[in-house]
Amino acid sequence: MRAIADAAARWRDADFPPRVRAAVAIERRLGYSQPVVDVALDRLFGGLTAAALEAAIADELGTLDALDGFVERPGRPPAWARATGAVTIVSSDTTIGVAIPALAFALAAHCTVTVKDRSDDLVAAFAETLAEELPAFGATLSVQRWSGGADKRESLVLGAAAVVVAFGSDDALLAIRARCAPGATFVPFGRRASAGYVDRAALAGDAAALAGAIARDALLYDGDGCLSLHLLYVERAADGAHERLVDALAEACADAVVEFPPGRRPPERAARAQAFAAAGAFRAAQGQGRSIRAADGAWSIVTDPPRDQPLPLGAGTLPVIFVDGIDDAAADLRERGIPLQALGVAAPGAADVTRLAEAFGAVRIAAFGSMQDPPLAGRHGGRARIADFVRWVDRA
Amino acid sequence: MSGAYRAEAGALDARIRAVIAAGTLDAAAFDDLACAIFAHQFHWNAAYAAYARSLGIDEARLPRTAAAIPAVPAAAFKDAALCTVAPSEAAVWFETSGTTQARSGRHYLESPALYEAALLAGFDRALLADGARLRYALLVPDPRERPHSSLGYMMAAVARERGDGPPGWYLREDGVDLDALAADIARAHLDGVSVCIATTAFALVALLDGLERAGRTLPLPPGSRVMETGGFKGRTRVVSRDELYRQAAAAFGIDQAQIVAEYGMTELSSQYYDSHASRGSARRVKEPVPWLRPIVVDQAGRQLPDGVVGAIRHVDCANRSSVVAIETEDLGAIVPGGLVLLGREEGAAARGCSLDAEDLIRR
Repeated sequence: MRAIADAAARWRDADFPPRVRAAVAIERRLGYSQPVVDVALDRLFGGLTAAALEAAIADELGTLDALDGFVERPGRPPAWARATGAVTIVSSDTTIGVAIPALAFALAAHCTVTVKDRSDDLVAAFAETLAEELPAFGATLSVQRWSGGADKRESLVLGAAAVVVAFGSDDALLAIRARCAPGATFVPFGRRASAGYVDRAALAGDAAALAGAIARDALLYDGDGCLSLHLLYVERAADGAHERLVDALAEACADAVVEFPPGRRPPERAARAQAFAAAGAFRAAQGQGRSIRAADGAWSIVTDPPRDQPLPLGAGTLPVIFVDGIDDAAADLRERGIPLQALGVAAPGAADVTRLAEAFGAVRIAAFGSMQDPPLAGRHGGRARIADFVRWVDRA
Repeated sequence: MSGAYRAEAGALDARIRAVIAAGTLDAAAFDDLACAIFAHQFHWNAAYAAYARSLGIDEARLPRTAAAIPAVPAAAFKDAALCTVAPSEAAVWFETSGTTQARSGRHYLESPALYEAALLAGFDRALLADGARLRYALLVPDPRERPHSSLGYMMAAVARERGDGPPGWYLREDGVDLDALAADIARAHLDGVSVCIATTAFALVALLDGLERAGRTLPLPPGSRVMETGGFKGRTRVVSRDELYRQAAAAFGIDQAQIVAEYGMTELSSQYYDSHASRGSARRVKEPVPWLRPIVVDQAGRQLPDGVVGAIRHVDCANRSSVVAIETEDLGAIVPGGLVLLGREEGAAARGCSLDAEDLIRR
């Protein structure tokens, strides 16, 4: 744990040469701007601390000692959380370092780990740092690159793994699962979207601060993450505060893209975002809703898009849907058929939030401004961090 | 309709029909005609005018080039009647793509005459340059069953005006009527008549699957050809176009160059077809008719230089009674001779772990 945390600490330094090289390669691969890549790496390695690893493990296994031998448990037989065996982690081609938290927990569980890396070689570079901190990792961690689908190496690595962790689209996950061993544990992380909900109580507060936090969640990573804010429900207020929030959001979006420039947007996403904004502008011209967009297309806000219009889900777009309450929002979300990952709210501790999360089916509730900054000690996509990497041995 | 409207519309229609008949239009003349049509629509098409005004256009600041004409997003046809006459006065309307979305829109045409003139001239250039009178085997919606399908209307018009007799319609609710098609192809062989199979890409896949299951091929008479159109959005089976053409050429006993892709939209009155020069190459160029111009734009709607990939905007002078400029989500790049369409796999890599609209459509 200490070695992993120490390696991560070195990567928190923005001038650490391997990080500098990786950042440039990530910018080249995905087209994100430098500030956005820096934030991603700061968050990735900033959260990878010994305290966070230990907290997550202690929560899931009861005690850290369970990884190293039998531990006594009141009312139950002593048990040992042994490494489950070989773990293969298939990185997504579209994300930044998503494999690294999973590999940290798999190594902590004493598993032998193989990671499929991407062309930026971020995981490979981090693995070198890990091996410098603890040479034994050189033998237990292997980072490779192969082409998906047809490469023989992939069949071998997937077929030999006791646990396969995979990130990607439905099609990619199906293809990977089909090549796993029959008894393997498959841990898929598919694509998801996230939403926010602003109630009347929040509208009565500081609109500029609220809008700033919302804009950050929507525009950091250009809205490409599963935890990015993709659509926002706002309760209608008798005094028109919901409309004023839209004005504040426009100002906040203009500021946010200065801080986090969207970079080189893939043409298809750009075209879809442009069409969505233009359709909103057309409806607005007919007296239906509002559409506000940056002159350069970096961001757009469209209110009340029709339910049957596919949302771009990111690419600088923020659909704002006015609702009368939670049930209204949940019905809209159901009709749009969007599986939700996170729910952003103004006050996560508020009484209605539990009902809201249940209605939305979200697995993470976060305050606006922190939707895309999940703690390492929390669960990922509603799943355990280390439990999949251990096999319990009971001693009767 | 006022007399002023009739006079203005009639004069424009005459100009457009003259261009269609001549088959040529230089760049300056195109700009002039497109801007004249926009000015007409700005006056008579209230929904389009409201949109244009919201973008800062008024009577004193009308566009002077086709590229400056505000393009209506294709989705707008679902939100308003975009027509220079009241919908009740439109002679024809076509239902816009509702295949993967719940709501469809309508493309109203004041009269079918201009539409038919444009589509026939385009088809003649692309598929009938040799003047052949073909027998039409149609795997597209039958207008008797789907009267508001623009593709069905188009092929019915082509078969009526250019065919050697009544066409065959083979698309059924449960797929392609292979037996009927095979019987009619056999009859064409006996009659010594070349055939044109006009099909959607998806119906072509269904036909080829049916032939494979039956363990047979369907050789066409000499001089026959295939017009293929449409994609696979929202479909469960996706086939690469190269593979599709290879299989089709083998099944029909024709050269791949005899398979010509049409690229169009219900919201347009004119179509693009594979250019003659590119039909033997891996990357086919979609050639517009002279009264249709593609413009490729970036995410802010700014025109991109030739060769740069962006969203495709169409300026279609045959859309006189609806909207002259339409913006799409289709990706492409302007190249010598026309337009190259790009699929997702040819664009830049996707990024992030978010669901996108395409994922949602597939679910």
